Amino acid sequence: MAQVVVLGAGISGHTAALTLKRKLGKKHNVVVVSPNKNYQWVPSNIWVGIGRMKSKKVIFDLAPVYKKQKIEYHQAKAVSLYPEGDAQNSKPFLKAKYTSKEKAGQEVTIEYDYLVNATGPRLRFDTTPGLGPEAGLVQSVCTYPHAEEAWENLKKVFEKLKNGEKQTIVIGTGHPKATCQGAAFEYALNIAHEINKRKLNKLADIVWITNEYEVGDFGMGGAYVKRNGYITSTKVFTESILAEYGIRWIKRAGVQKVDEKAVYFETLDGEKHELNYDYAMLIPSFSGINLPTFDKNGADVTAKVFAPNGFMKVDADYTAKPYEEWSGADWPSIYQNPEYKNLYAPGIAFAPPHGISKPMKSKNGTEIFPTPPRTGMPSGVMGKIVAENIADRIKKNTENHKHKASMARMGAACVVSAGYGFRSGLAATMTVFPIVQDIEKYPDWGRDIRYTVGEAGLAGHWVKLVLHYMFLYKAKAKFLWHLIPE
Amino acid sequence: MKIRRNKEIDPYDNGAFTTIPGPATRFFRKSIIWQIWRFTVLNIKIMRIVIGGHS
Repeated sequence: MAQVVVLGAGISGHTAALTLKRKLGKKHNVVVVSPNKNYQWVPSNIWVGIGRMKSKKVIFDLAPVYKKQKIEYHQAKAVSLYPEGDAQNSKPFLKAKYTSKEKAGQEVTIEYDYLVNATGPRLRFDTTPGLGPEAGLVQSVCTYPHAEEAWENLKKVFEKLKNGEKQTIVIGTGHPKATCQGAAFEYALNIAHEINKRKLNKLADIVWITNEYEVGDFGMGGAYVKRNGYITSTKVFTESILAEYGIRWIKRAGVQKVDEKAVYFETLDGEKHELNYDYAMLIPSFSGINLPTFDKNGADVTAKVFAPNGFMKVDADYTAKPYEEWSGADWPSIYQNPEYKNLYAPGIAFAPPHGISKPMKSKNGTEIFPTPPRTGMPSGVMGKIVAENIADRIKKNTENHKHKASMARMGAACVVSAGYGFRSGLAATMTVFPIVQDIEKYPDWGRDIRYTVGEAGLAGHWVKLVLHYMFLYKAKAKFLWHLIPE
Repeated sequence: MKIRRNKEIDPYDNGAFTTIPGPATRFFRKSIIWQIWRFTVLNIKIMRIVIGGHS
């Protein structure tokens, strides 16, 4: 009997665990180790942060789902990894500390034959002084408790606007190299939608602050879309949406500090600025979890397994090269660690070989550009193919990895929806194929223009609503869940 | 939706140089029949992306 351990129960880890159990059946054991009690459908946190949805609608208890699926579940946080075992135990294992109320602080050792590291991002509020809900100055919508708090504070802003007080609302990236612009952009549009709906827009100054060279970059170097007989960039599309919603923008900005009064940032031209605010939601930088890893002699081999940013090294080409030499072939396709072949890292946990957006540096040497996004649909697909390959290795005793999903061969859809309901709301829908530009295959536009879309309308809003209910149904592993694609 | 292109906005602000949807575009964005068609097209494109993106 083989034992597969999955670290993390987010989009990638949860997909991997359910797929593994379905493929492996009763003969093999699937174990999930996650510090969280709940699964959360992160894309809908935006609706929690705007007060349009209660957080209980975007989460559910993991334990009953795993019990039903006969998946062993430990509500615990991994603290160290022993991929060669140690002096007493020749089998690979990891150590974890329970986070559940009943067993809080107790340590557990879990052996594995295969390990899927799907731990997602560590939110690095600490890299920007003043950022993060703990500091009490700037909001976040990265988790559902953060989104709840963001809504509580946003209500106060709406009250002040109603009382005739002018308010400056700053939304965007909170670090010169932050990613996930899509989520922040969606939050900005939702706030603007709610303010416009309340007819308070004359009193509100909504500012989109971003580390992108041009708005619409979204960490993917932007994209080209066909619109009304023209091929236009997502810059044009995004600027149009921002202007329509009455949001002004500051681009090429690396936020360096926040205090009670202002957001302090440097722009690519080397100038330092400050922007006063009444309410701010800024996305922090991300890193990996950088799990301390030891060989059988107890020597620290963390640097062999993890990149300096804490993400796990996989089958990517990590050779340092200039932007002009970047290629789609640099990106991993099976997410297997080259040092220990039974370790995999799908989703945000894998170390990307380089960015997608062109690296930019200010005169002062500050790097200001988005790092690559890896959330949502790509994370689910990666989790699925990792599970399928591991199941093949166990059941067919093969080292071949038949299932592949490179970000240079995979598309993504980003639905930025404002408003809530069947007829109330509007969404900007963007699809790109592939995520990483492939100039060799698509020399004109870097991507397949037939499947790269940018449009606004109710349709995208319905897509977002359908995705919310469909993916929560799938994540709960209800009847025929596996037929719903990632 | 009211477009904030008015005296409060600096005419040379970055938002002053963008494309803004006209009445027809805004009508079709909310037209149920047209949006049902776009919903179908978007779903087909998304499905193509999902299925074609991995093997």
